[in-house]
Amino acid sequence: MIGNILLTLALLAGVFTVIMYYLTYRGYQNTLSLSRIGFHTTAIMVIASAALLLYAVLTHQYQYKYIYDYSGSDLPTGLLMSTFYAGQEGSFMLWTFFTAVIGLILLDYTSKRGDLEPRVMMTFSLVLSFLLIMVSPLLKSPFNFIWMSNDYLDLKNINQAFLSLPALQSFIFTDPQANKQFVQMGKELHAALVSNNISINDFIIQGKGLNPLLQNFWMQIHPPILFIGFSMSAVPFSFALAAILKNEYRDWVKQAMPWVLAGTCVLGLAIMLGGYWAYGVLGWGGYWGWDPVENSSLVPWIVGVASIHTILVQKKTQEKDGGSRFVKTNLILSIMTFVLVLYSTFLTRSGILGDASVHSFAEPGMAVYLFLIIFLGLFTVIGIGGIIYRWKFLTEHFSFEENILSRELALFTGSVALIASAIIVAVGTSAPIFGTTVQTSFYNELNLPIAIIIGFLNGTSILLKWKHTEGKQLWKQSQFAVIATVVLTLLVVFIGGVHQLMLIILTLSSSFAFFVNTEIAYKIFKGKKTHLGAYVAHIGISLFLIGVLATAGHSQQKQVDLVKGQKVNVLGHELTFVGYTPFDNGKKYHMNIEVKDGNNVRVVSPIMFIAEFNNSLMREPDILVGLTKDFYVAPVSYSDSQENQQGTPTTMKGGDKVSFEGKEITFNKFILPKDMSAMASGAKFRIGVDITISYKGKEYKVEPYMENEGQGPTYFPIELKDADLKISITAMNATNAEVSLLFSSISKGQTTAAPKEILTVDASIKPFISLVWIGVLTMVAGFIIASFRRSKESLV
Amino acid sequence: MKNKYMFGGAIIIVFLAVMVYLFTQTNVQYESSFAKVMQTGKTVKATGSWVKERNYEIDKTNNLFSFYMKDPEGNTMKVIYHGAIPNNFESSTSVVVTGKYHDGNFHASDILTKCPSKYQDQTGQKASS
Repeated sequence: MIGNILLTLALLAGVFTVIMYYLTYRGYQNTLSLSRIGFHTTAIMVIASAALLLYAVLTHQYQYKYIYDYSGSDLPTGLLMSTFYAGQEGSFMLWTFFTAVIGLILLDYTSKRGDLEPRVMMTFSLVLSFLLIMVSPLLKSPFNFIWMSNDYLDLKNINQAFLSLPALQSFIFTDPQANKQFVQMGKELHAALVSNNISINDFIIQGKGLNPLLQNFWMQIHPPILFIGFSMSAVPFSFALAAILKNEYRDWVKQAMPWVLAGTCVLGLAIMLGGYWAYGVLGWGGYWGWDPVENSSLVPWIVGVASIHTILVQKKTQEKDGGSRFVKTNLILSIMTFVLVLYSTFLTRSGILGDASVHSFAEPGMAVYLFLIIFLGLFTVIGIGGIIYRWKFLTEHFSFEENILSRELALFTGSVALIASAIIVAVGTSAPIFGTTVQTSFYNELNLPIAIIIGFLNGTSILLKWKHTEGKQLWKQSQFAVIATVVLTLLVVFIGGVHQLMLIILTLSSSFAFFVNTEIAYKIFKGKKTHLGAYVAHIGISLFLIGVLATAGHSQQKQVDLVKGQKVNVLGHELTFVGYTPFDNGKKYHMNIEVKDGNNVRVVSPIMFIAEFNNSLMREPDILVGLTKDFYVAPVSYSDSQENQQGTPTTMKGGDKVSFEGKEITFNKFILPKDMSAMASGAKFRIGVDITISYKGKEYKVEPYMENEGQGPTYFPIELKDADLKISITAMNATNAEVSLLFSSISKGQTTAAPKEILTVDASIKPFISLVWIGVLTMVAGFIIASFRRSKESLV
Repeated sequence: MKNKYMFGGAIIIVFLAVMVYLFTQTNVQYESSFAKVMQTGKTVKATGSWVKERNYEIDKTNNLFSFYMKDPEGNTMKVIYHGAIPNNFESSTSVVVTGKYHDGNFHASDILTKCPSKYQDQTGQKASS
C-alpha cells in the first residue's frame, strides 16, 4: 500500500516538475526552485519505493503478487535481491529508479551550465514521468496485492498449519488430472483470512521461485547495468531537444559528449555481459545468437556509437573554424538512440515477438501494450517532430562540403556504415511483427562486410587529418601499420589456415585498425594520457573483431559419449568421465570430466540437475579458459543403465499406452494411500501403479509399487510370467501424475550387465574467444578515459 | 555530388539492396497448419504442441531426437531433430520447430520450447471446471 502511494505521489511530483520546468523555460522567474523541489521530491519517492520493494523482497512479503510470482524463500541473498527485477514490474521499477538517480546527477550537471537546466530537465522529467505511469498501480506496479486479482496458488506454497481451518475449506481445490491442489486466492479468501486474524505473509510461505536459468552470478549484474544504460540514453535525447527548443546548436554537443560516451560505455558493457552469460552459463555455445532481445539492445548501442563520431566532428569543426558539421545528423542520432531503446522495450515487453525468442515473454495485457505504443509513439513524435520543425533553419545554416581525404568524411562514412548495420539488425529483429523471421545467416552475411568497412575506416580516420590530408603524407604515416597488417594477414592465411576471402579481408581490416591505433596510442602514452580514450576504444574494437573472426572461422565441435572410466580422444584432448558429485544439498550434480591436454590434467565439471521450478533437465557448461583457446564442454545427457541394456525408462502419464515386444502396456493411474496424512507426517506409505497389459488377446492387471518410510522411496517391480515381462519403476512423480517405467523380458533380462554410466557431452574448441571479451573490456576502458576527458572539456 | 552523400549514400543503398535480397532469401514463415507445412518444400517455422500421449524417442547412436507434434486442427506429424532434447522440453506447452518436411517427417534444425509461467495451464483448467 505504501509502495503504491509513494509511486503515485512520485508520478504527481514528476508531472508537476515537467510543468514547472516548462514555465521556467518560458521565462517565469520564481518557478526554478519549485522545479528543483519537484524533481528532488520525485526522485526521493522513487528511491524510497525501490528501497521498499527491495525490503519486501528480502523479507519475503508474498502479499505482493509480484514477489509471489518471481521470488522464493530458498534463494541465497544475492539471487534473492535479483528477483527485484526478475519480472516486468520489477524491471520497469529498476529502470525508473536509475532514471531518477541519473536525473539527480543531470540536474546538478545542467544547473552549472548556463540556461541549460530547464530545457534539459523538462524532457528528462517527462521521461521519468512516463516510466512512473508504467509502474503506477493501474499498469505494472510491483506493489499490487496478491488478492486483488484471482489466482490459484499451489498448496505447497501455503502454510500447512492453516489448511485445516473450516473457514478455508471452500477455497481449496484439487485438480484430479494433474493431481495437484490449489488455493483460490482472491478478495473472498483475503476477507476470510482477515476475519480469522491470519496475516497473509504467514499464510503464504513460499513464492513460485526464480527461473533456474536466471539463477547465477550474471543475473545479479547484467540487468542492472543494462538498465543504467537504458536510463542514460534519455540524456542525449534531452540535450538534443534542448538545442532544438532554443534553436541553438553549438554548445549542446560539448555538453552532451561525456554523457553519450558514458551511456554508450555502460550499454556496451551490459550487452557484453549478456553475451558472456549466454556463453558461460546458458550453454548456447556462442556469445551471440541474434536473439531478438539481444538485438534490440544492440541497435540503440550501435546508433549511440555512430553519434559519438559525428558529435566529435561537430565539436572539432566548431573549435577550428566556427562551422558546425553534421548538426542534423547529431540531432537525429541522439534522438534515435533513445527512441530505439523505447522500441526495444516495446518489442521485448509487449509480447509482439511471440514465438520468436528464447527469452520468455509474458503477455503484459492490453493496457500495457497500448501504453508502450503511446510511450514510444509520443517520444518519436516529439523528437522527430522537433527536427522537422527546425529543418529549414538547419538546412540553411549548416550545409557543408567535406574534402575526400578528411577525417570528417571518414568519420561520417564510418557512422553511416554503423547505421546501416543498425538498420539491418532492426529490420531482422522486427520481422516477427510481420509474421516472418530471418535466419541468423541474414545478420552474419550482412554485418561481415560492414565490419570490414568499419575496420578500415577505424584505422584510416585516425591517420587522416581534420579538413584535408595530403596523399603522400598519408602513406608515410601508415607505412608501419600497412606492413605489419600484411605480415599478420599472411601469417593468418598460411599458418592459421583461414581461406575464406571475406574472412581474409576482415583480418586485413581489423589488424590494420589494430596496428594504426596501437602505434598512435604508444606515442600518446608518453604524452597526454587523457587523450588515449579513442585509441584504446579502437584497439578494443579491433581486438573484438579479430576474436569474432577466430571463433567464427575456426571453432570445432563434436558430440561424444563418455563411458565412466574410459578415455576418449576429442579434438586433441583426452577426456575421462570420472563420475558425478552432488552439491547444493544434493539438488544439482557436477559431472566431473578429467581433461588431459599434453601433460596437463584438469577437471571440468559441467552441471546437470532437474529443476523443480519447471520440472525439466537443466544443463550448464564448463569451460577450460585459455588465452589462445577455450575448451568448452556442455553436457547433453546422462544415463546409468542398470540390469539390462534394453533401453531407457519410458515416462508415462495417466492413460498413456506403449508397446513393448508385442505387449500393449497401459498406465491407468496411481493407487494412492487412503490416508493422505501419512505422506505428510513421514509414516510408511505405499503408492501403487495400476497397469493393464494386453498380450495375445488376454488382459492382465498388475501393480508394481513404491513404498516409503520417510527415508526415500523403494520400488518393487512385478514379473508377469505369461507375457515374459518385467516392469520396474525407476521414478515416479505423483504430483505430476507421471511414472517412469523400465520394461524388460524375464528370459532375456536374466543376464544382467554391469551398470554402465554414460555421459554425453558437446565438446568444442573456441580459438581466441578471450579476445572477444578482452576487446570489449578494452573498448569500455577507452570509453571511460574519453568520458573523463570530455566532461572536463564540457565546462569550458 | 557531394562527397558526403556519395560515400554515405553508396553504403546505404548497397546494403539496403543486399538486405532486401537476403531478407527474401532467408526469411522463414511461421506456419501453424501442418497441412501447409507438408505441402511446401520450403523451410518453415512450424508451431504446434507436443503430443504427450505419444512418447518421444532419443536415438543416441545417431544423435536423433524425435517426437510428435500436432496443430490446432489436430493434424500430427513426426519431428526429427539432430541433437539432444532441449532443456525444458518436457514442461513445454507449445513448440516451434524450424526445418523442412520431407519423406514423411519434419526434419528440424532448431527447436524452441515455450513454457507458460508455472501454473497458468492448470489454472486455465481450473477456471473452466
